[in-house]
Amino acid sequence: MSARSKSSWETAPRLPAGHFVSGLVYTDPDVYQDEIDNIFSKTWRFACHESELLEPFDYRVIDHAGQSLICIRGDDGEVRAFLNVCSHRGGKLLTEPSGNARLITCFYHRWTYDSLGACTGIPRPSGYSKEVAKDTMGLRGLRTTVKHGLVFISLDEGAPDLDAFIGASLDQFSEMLGSTPLEVFHYNRAVLNCNWKAWHETNMDLYHEFMHVVLRQTQVSAMPMEDRRLITFQNGHGGSGGDLKAAYDGYEGFAGRGGDVPPLPGTDPTDFRFVDLFPSTAIIARGTVIRIDTATPLGPDKTLLEMRGLGVKGEPQEHRQARQRHHNQYWGPFGRNVPEDMIAAEACADSFRNQAGRYQIIARDENLTGQDDAILRAFYKEWGERTGRDPGNPIEPADPVSDQVRA
Amino acid sequence: MNDLKRLLEGEAVRPLIGGASLALDDGDYARFLGYCDDPFNYRIRVWSPDLKKDMTWLEHDREGLIELFKSLPEHLQRQGRLHRQVTVATVEASNVDGFLVVTSPFVVHHTNLEGQTHTLAVGRYIDIVNMTDEKIVLTARDVMLDTRDLGIGLHVPI
Repeated sequence: MSARSKSSWETAPRLPAGHFVSGLVYTDPDVYQDEIDNIFSKTWRFACHESELLEPFDYRVIDHAGQSLICIRGDDGEVRAFLNVCSHRGGKLLTEPSGNARLITCFYHRWTYDSLGACTGIPRPSGYSKEVAKDTMGLRGLRTTVKHGLVFISLDEGAPDLDAFIGASLDQFSEMLGSTPLEVFHYNRAVLNCNWKAWHETNMDLYHEFMHVVLRQTQVSAMPMEDRRLITFQNGHGGSGGDLKAAYDGYEGFAGRGGDVPPLPGTDPTDFRFVDLFPSTAIIARGTVIRIDTATPLGPDKTLLEMRGLGVKGEPQEHRQARQRHHNQYWGPFGRNVPEDMIAAEACADSFRNQAGRYQIIARDENLTGQDDAILRAFYKEWGERTGRDPGNPIEPADPVSDQVRA
Repeated sequence: MNDLKRLLEGEAVRPLIGGASLALDDGDYARFLGYCDDPFNYRIRVWSPDLKKDMTWLEHDREGLIELFKSLPEHLQRQGRLHRQVTVATVEASNVDGFLVVTSPFVVHHTNLEGQTHTLAVGRYIDIVNMTDEKIVLTARDVMLDTRDLGIGLHVPI
């Protein structure tokens, strides 16, 4: 037993492909650009919950793949999405994060658009040739689909439908999300100093339960590890394959959790289920409350994290307060767990930033039970297919022959 | 007469708000609780321009705070030190005799282990203060946060 040498440290682990990840996937600017071009510009992304767009003309402004988007409900009830950019001179149209806009008016030259994305007004149009007219100057429309109240958008007009992309991965949430109206009662953003994957890994990695005292005391022993069921889906999604259990009495202050508010449809207060949607959205339910988080890359080592908490729409105030309490026990900026996950994501980023850390091992194999790394491996398999890069070696090593020829 | 009374109340309140802030800065939670009444309620509230709603990000009674403080050594926490800069701005009589409403804007700075300091949060404390001849204590604290991005967040009251 001894510390490892430089060459040992820097050599890829002797593990099967897909069971380790190079630190370069978190830091390399070319890898990052490939992710923007081939993942975030090509897949579906959770944008918001439809309760955030309750009334006609309600809108939300979303950051995605470096672009600002508008999600807006039309007076026909349909939710649509557009780039938040004026067709005229590129002015950012809506600057508030949410609101209600019967007409979307560009502040710069007062061009206007409706909730269908059509251009409805150009001041003094006679100064333009017929190429610049209302009927040709609409907003750039984006594909938008609402499923179980979740609004998804895609920048890619050729992407397969949302249902084909997510497959059965949301099925375990269909009753919970779809059988009673829900609403978002918590929203917060945080910019983290880490790559977006480092955050999403905290959702996919069950082994890190040991980091959280709350999970050590409520979850690790709540059911036999071999009885846990995990599942992976095509296209890089994964999650719980059956309800996991939490024993809240194990952590002082959490005892009795769930006795004060009805569980969400189809669950027991002690149930815990989750799904990680490729590329960067996680939905986590703890019996009485749901969290949805989405990581948006801002750069190789900067990530915007958005977190939502959902409860039952129109519920009595005491139920809402209980659900809010349950949410805040784990999640939110003052939760017992979420700050710990953020610390972990930033700590790993620190190691990989200057290549002190070289590889990340995702080799736990427990036959889709316990704390199997299968969800991480499914994610990186999809990541590799979309970027055309090997997660274990994302940068082609220099070819010594061609280097010599060039010299 | 009322002005003089308010002035005296303000003078009496200042060491309470300041002392409670220093106790929180020092991570001396038993000392902080010494400034708090029994019962006591603590809440962090935030207005969301995204949802157009008030949100509650933390809420505890005295027992809940004691349980939280007891658990802190077990948690993985932000390292370094917080520094609260608090200014008592107004002291007003409440509708209930003997209770004052004290509003104090604050700025919280975080100094990391490398000695770098940055502003973590700004907001206001809205405190209900119970003032009698025998004692002056916090009965309730509402923290109205302006800052909504707290980076890696916090396990402790702001």
